[in-house]
Amino acid sequence: MIISSAKPFGEVLELLKDEDDIFIIGCGACATKLHVGGEPEVLDMLRRLEEAGKHVTGWCVPSAACSVASFDSLVEKDPSIKDAGCILVMACGSGVSIVSKVTEVPVYPSNNTESLGGLSQGEVFPELCAMCGDCKIYYFGGICPIGQCPKRLLNGPCGGSIDGKCEVDPEKDCVWELIYTRLEKLGRLDLLEKVWVCEEG
Amino acid sequence: MPRNFKEKLGSDDFLITAEISPPKGTDLCKALADAELIRNFADALNVTDNQRAVMRMSPVAASRALLDAGHEVIMQLTCRDRNRLALQSELLGAYALGIRNICVMTGDHTTKGDHPGARPVYDMDPVQLLDIIRRMKEGHDLAGNLIEGPPAFTVGAVTNTDPSNTMQMLKLRKKARMGLDFFQTQAIYDTGQFEAFMEETLDIEVPVIAGVIPLGSASMAHFMNRNIPGINVPAEIIERMENAEDPTEEGMSICAETIAELKKLCRGIHIMPIGKHKSTPEILEMAGTRKKSR
Repeated sequence: MIISSAKPFGEVLELLKDEDDIFIIGCGACATKLHVGGEPEVLDMLRRLEEAGKHVTGWCVPSAACSVASFDSLVEKDPSIKDAGCILVMACGSGVSIVSKVTEVPVYPSNNTESLGGLSQGEVFPELCAMCGDCKIYYFGGICPIGQCPKRLLNGPCGGSIDGKCEVDPEKDCVWELIYTRLEKLGRLDLLEKVWVCEEG
Repeated sequence: MPRNFKEKLGSDDFLITAEISPPKGTDLCKALADAELIRNFADALNVTDNQRAVMRMSPVAASRALLDAGHEVIMQLTCRDRNRLALQSELLGAYALGIRNICVMTGDHTTKGDHPGARPVYDMDPVQLLDIIRRMKEGHDLAGNLIEGPPAFTVGAVTNTDPSNTMQMLKLRKKARMGLDFFQTQAIYDTGQFEAFMEETLDIEVPVIAGVIPLGSASMAHFMNRNIPGINVPAEIIERMENAEDPTEEGMSICAETIAELKKLCRGIHIMPIGKHKSTPEILEMAGTRKKSR
């Protein structure tokens, strides 16, 4: 899941200051689950924009903004997109990019895209994966230090943690504490012995 | 010929190294004056690299200025601000300018410093950097290309000294496997714990240079215990500082006593006073260390 958060409404309004005839596109995937681009949030955005004196031509929530097939597929959902002077996309950066690709008017984001994370039992887990393109997560008990350690360390913790907490965010456990505990449970502390060296080519 | 830091590492000498910070600016006078205070005591000066992620003059430039003034230097190099290209080119440049000793470390995160918006690099960690330095010394860069005039660095790394911290001890062993010439530690106040650390790591056979920071007050001790990772000032030392008539004098005495203890346990000390080295000669004399050997 792509973790994104809503920009402050004032910032969205500032982005749209020279625009009218706005069409809003939400996202039925991650942004819906995170409540930053589902139908309720799209309708709330529509109301707030109208209250701010903007004209909204229409809206739709495709199953995933990042996999919109074509402009026609958006027209099928709401033909008023043809009258739009611009589009506000309530999705992650990928969603905004794909909507830009299939449309010919200015496209604005309502969200800030933060990381590749997850959601479980109502709790959001950011930065679970750094999308490095060379997955090594098995060696770390299913907890990726590239994604979760602010220094992306592979060979063990830095000297910066105090009482098992992260140097960068003292509220967070040092990911190496979590990796150690997990591998200990799995009986695979031997995996920590591996020395990760850099290679080129 | 006076012996250099590397030769002294291979001897039985108890080594004294001392931290010098490059200036926040272009004027090196203060750093050079600070170094002058300890000319006859320090075997090498350890030049910091944007320590605590606070932007200062390049350690390469400051190291070269100290070399010109007749000091031996150990240049620190962090993984925070440079990718693999920059790290390797910095090392080549440093060696070409006469810098022979380096000490590598991860580096405090940019969010802890004075430019918190800086993009942290961490393209590699110290274990990986040590591996690359080893390859460079053998005549190749990371990509396997030949290096003309390979840099024959003496290489150190830093370590935590809590023997109960399994992950830190594991990382120390990984660093040692990369062919290290010395370890430098965070400031030691608990010599009992340090002795246990030395016993725990006896098999590693890498010379250990223990850090010391003279205390200025009891509140400084409390602050370091809370905020500086790897520092553990024991209660009895804090009590001595609290009861001292002159906390500065007491801090110097404690530091000298610690150094005297460390002389029995490891190969040297690395003194990192807060501010200048004004008191360093007196502390070292109180600790009974000799002036620097030739």
